[in-house]
Amino acid sequence: MAVTDSDKASAHVKPKERFDFFHDERVRSVFYQLLTACTVGWLAWYLITNTAHNLEIRGMNTGFGFLTATAGFDTDFKLIEYEPGIGTYGRIFLIGCLNTLLVSSFAIVASTFLGFFVGVLRLSNNWLVARLALAFVEIIRNTPLLLQIIFWYVGVFALLPRVKNSVDLSGGAEVLFINNRGLYMAWPVPGDLFWMTTTAFVATVVGVFLLRRWAHKRQDETGQQFPIFSASVALLILVPGAVYLVTGSPLEWDLPTLQGFNFRGGFSLPPAFLALLVSLTIYHAAHLAESVRAGILSVNKGQTEAALAIGLKPGRAMALIIIPQAMRAIVPPLISLWMNCVKNSSLAIAIGYSDIVALFMQTALNQAGYAVEMVGMTMAFYMFISLSISGLLNIYNKRVQLVER
Amino acid sequence: MKFTRLLTLAVSAFALMVAGGVGASAESTLDIVKKRGHLRCQVGAPAPGFYNLDANGEWYGSDVSICQAVAAAIFGDKSKLEIQSVSSQVRFTALANGESDLLSRTATWTLLRDTQLGLDFTAINFYDGQGFMVPKDTGIKSALELKGATVCVLTGTTTELNLADFSRVNNLDISPVTFEDSNVRNDTYLAGGCDALTNDKSSIASIKAAFPNPDDHLLLPETISKEPLAPAVRQGDGQWFDIVKWTVYALINAEELGVTQANVDDMRANSTNASVRRMLGAEGNLNEGLGLSKDWAYNIIKQVGNYGEIYERYMGGGELGIKIGRAGSANELWTRGGLMYAPPFR
Amino acid sequence: MAAVVKSERTAARSAPLSETTVLGWLRKNLFSSWINALLTIVSIYIIYAAVKGFYVWGVADAVWVAKDRRECFDISIDGACWAGVIQWMNNFIYGRYPRGELWRVNLGALMLVLWMAPLWVPRVKDKILIGMSTVFLYPFLAGYFFAGGEKGIFMQVMVTLGIVFLVGNTLNVIIGVSSGRGLREVMIQKLGKQDASDESQRNTILAIFVGALVVVFVLQMWWTFEAVSWTKWGGMFLTLVISGIGIAAALPLGIFLALGRRSKLPVIRVLCTAFIEIFRSVPLITVLFMATTMFPLFMPEGVPLNKLTQVIIAVCLFSGCYMAETVRAGLQAIPNGQYEAAHTIGLGYWGTMGLIVMPQALKHMIPNIVGSFIGLLKDTTLVSIIGLFDVLGMLRSVSQDIPWRGLHKEPLLFGAMLFFIVCFAMSKYSRHLEVKLSAGDNR
Repeated sequence: MAVTDSDKASAHVKPKERFDFFHDERVRSVFYQLLTACTVGWLAWYLITNTAHNLEIRGMNTGFGFLTATAGFDTDFKLIEYEPGIGTYGRIFLIGCLNTLLVSSFAIVASTFLGFFVGVLRLSNNWLVARLALAFVEIIRNTPLLLQIIFWYVGVFALLPRVKNSVDLSGGAEVLFINNRGLYMAWPVPGDLFWMTTTAFVATVVGVFLLRRWAHKRQDETGQQFPIFSASVALLILVPGAVYLVTGSPLEWDLPTLQGFNFRGGFSLPPAFLALLVSLTIYHAAHLAESVRAGILSVNKGQTEAALAIGLKPGRAMALIIIPQAMRAIVPPLISLWMNCVKNSSLAIAIGYSDIVALFMQTALNQAGYAVEMVGMTMAFYMFISLSISGLLNIYNKRVQLVER
Repeated sequence: MKFTRLLTLAVSAFALMVAGGVGASAESTLDIVKKRGHLRCQVGAPAPGFYNLDANGEWYGSDVSICQAVAAAIFGDKSKLEIQSVSSQVRFTALANGESDLLSRTATWTLLRDTQLGLDFTAINFYDGQGFMVPKDTGIKSALELKGATVCVLTGTTTELNLADFSRVNNLDISPVTFEDSNVRNDTYLAGGCDALTNDKSSIASIKAAFPNPDDHLLLPETISKEPLAPAVRQGDGQWFDIVKWTVYALINAEELGVTQANVDDMRANSTNASVRRMLGAEGNLNEGLGLSKDWAYNIIKQVGNYGEIYERYMGGGELGIKIGRAGSANELWTRGGLMYAPPFR
Repeated sequence: MAAVVKSERTAARSAPLSETTVLGWLRKNLFSSWINALLTIVSIYIIYAAVKGFYVWGVADAVWVAKDRRECFDISIDGACWAGVIQWMNNFIYGRYPRGELWRVNLGALMLVLWMAPLWVPRVKDKILIGMSTVFLYPFLAGYFFAGGEKGIFMQVMVTLGIVFLVGNTLNVIIGVSSGRGLREVMIQKLGKQDASDESQRNTILAIFVGALVVVFVLQMWWTFEAVSWTKWGGMFLTLVISGIGIAAALPLGIFLALGRRSKLPVIRVLCTAFIEIFRSVPLITVLFMATTMFPLFMPEGVPLNKLTQVIIAVCLFSGCYMAETVRAGLQAIPNGQYEAAHTIGLGYWGTMGLIVMPQALKHMIPNIVGSFIGLLKDTTLVSIIGLFDVLGMLRSVSQDIPWRGLHKEPLLFGAMLFFIVCFAMSKYSRHLEVKLSAGDNR
């Protein structure tokens, strides 16, 4: 690289005498870019022709026609209708996407809460609690996630009681059961007039939003505070509740009941889902806890003292002064953690939860071939999700930057 | 001028890469293997009975024995062998692109695979079929009673497809619980995570034998699929196809003729049976068509044993066996009512 | 105003109880309020239950010596069966590596320690040279030790260079630690040339170096190792090889991509950004699947890539893209003044980057690089899903072996402990480095 080094140095001198074609910065930049583009283009062409040739000599099929072909296998967990022998590969792709999104969105929410909780515990002034939180964080962060997933699946969820001895988590109400085949819960089936309750709920949400704005405005003008939180909660429960009762409780519950081998009815989640959810939650919570701790510690101690000096109670000081400032340091790692959570849910393959990788990239690819198309579609799905989440991060960063002076 | 030097460099690099892309020659597989000095034989992730790792990192099992037999036939030394363990979704690609010379794993011979994946199945060395196992206390005696049951099954195999077909045809509404890992599947079944377990019957037998209380479980009589297992080779090399096929036939024939690892030397020297003498190379020149040495079959039997011995060692009651009975099954010799039948050596 | 002068010193007040007595400490740290007291009691219960459960199963009722799982059951039906884990230990560490040749792996590891050790000894000179040789020579020397077989001329040269550097390096450390001088200095002195001109000194050193090279080259022609195919690599050894190559290749690839992403040339910038973002937005398992299903299709007919190569390429690309972001963060931390100063003294782009910016940025990145290595080490367990017998692959194979059929919790737990020890030690070290490096900046 010494070649370019000295060339570039002389280019910076900008000799006036004559136009030196090889040492002109614009010419060089065009040349380098052309060279790169050609190399990359040639490499792409080379790989594509090789692939096409290989596909041909092996008699492998190509194209996206398989998406409308019927798939012969079944899957144990699906959010949309699917029947083996009738459903298509396109539907299989959709089931996989939804399953991935389901488990990762649950895990994101749960790990965010647990992560904040553990992060605060790490800073507890109780020595034992702080140490226990530290041990939790270190153990989880220093063992591979794949090992943890297998452990939760084999070591915990497979050891739950059998169907006949299911544990009723709702304490006798028979709406929530857990056994080693999963979690079974009652599922609401809306009746004819249920739309009125829904409408009432939406209307109340809008009302609460307006109320908040009014309360803020009043506080800014007069300094009087309005108990906005309790008022909102009361409104949100009372108004839709009243409508629900007036229209005659138009909601039925589909209860899980033991029939033959299994629970029927209601909604159920398989143990693989639960194991994956728990391990993803714990793994990412442990990582988040460290970010939360660092974020809180990054806020200057003077801020706490100043807040206490103007008469805020410690809880209010934390909520109004410390956390908002800490958020600026917490949110970027938080969002990249969400991204990791979606990506890591792909390890479901180790325990057979039907996420997109296990269902589409493994089973479907095994049955139908079409390696290039299926790998490409799966990667495109993940790219779409990741880009959406990082778009979120960019929006947040812009807002935070505007606040900064 | 430095600029031109750079350009020359780029151009020559380009040319080199292009040149590297051409020049694949059409040598026969036997020549390639001989030149390399060892056979590359593909198996899968450990599956008891067929291929398995021991504590010293050595492979053992009946399919591994096929690999060893082919190596013995070519080199006269069963250890000139490299076992590759390849995950199931790339098993056929790895054979097709020349990573492995021979696929000796539990791949079921189907029309689609034989015709569309660029490979040829040689000779069947194990007849398997998919079945069900249930705990005895459920009182189930037939797979048709499994209406509405959950069944533990491995993902990404023909077992999954067969189960879906069986359920649909018999209107059983079976819900599959899929697993990537067979241990997890077995544990889940043991813990009552599903009502039945389905897999190839050979595999079920080995799983059952390893349970704490094997007698609490019942293998249902239905066989819902045909699973003929055979070693496979790349399409388009007839000689190589013959070598692998006749290696399997040599194992079967040796059992039929009573040639064993222990008596093979004696048989070669003293046998009066012309079939035995032809097979072991004491007479005639059957080896020529295969491009192997005269004593190829002798080497196989001497170093690996005959079909019955291999079966006893890894599938039957041997110390490392998975205790599947052979009598009365399809894997018995044709002379004793089974399907194991090899064309004559002449 | 009368001055008050005390003639004796005031006796020191005793420290608060909370700092001196156990009870005081307990009160301050564990029982300062009723909520804290409750938390403490809950924590104690959690610790008790976890420790007791593990102790009874894993130690008190465990079986350490048995010939198979049945025997374990016969001795203790409820306890752990560690006997299987102990019997499989070689598989966990070395994989299927031939048992007679294990010393080669051990020696390879020892060489790495010898090679890297000087970087941690403060008195040793020429650390940059040592660091460079670790990246460029060690992989070839170790690679030959691990793989064996016939050496091509390139390999012969690399092995020779490697051995000469290793010996020189070790001597340098011994001399450095004992006398605080460099190897060169001592050699010059021993030859009585300390008064000769610089040029003559340099020539002498060069002559010794070339002489050593020739001697070693001739010697190494006499021995070759038995070839060990990649299919026999496995266990922790394979995990370390994959993640080691991954991180070593990630560094140059990452620097290259990060510079490309910050380039003023739009084509290069767009290409690098797209490349980085594509690989960073998909999970490693999909990249590995891509490698095993699509790389064989990319290759020209008749040129197969083996599985290990496919996996290593995938891991390198993946970790390179992550490293690119680490490098970019490191570059962003360098103040603009540094670039301007470099331009002022007449350095071009590569001069600025190579001599001024990169060295500073790299120093800041060391803790992050260690962090990436830990992450990669853990992620490497995914190769077991696509059929390589890395440590997790081996841990999961125990249960298929007929004598140990069904034994899988104990191996997994052992694996977890193994990873914890390795990763925890490394993360502690990286935190220590962080403190040490930032302390240097604050001066």
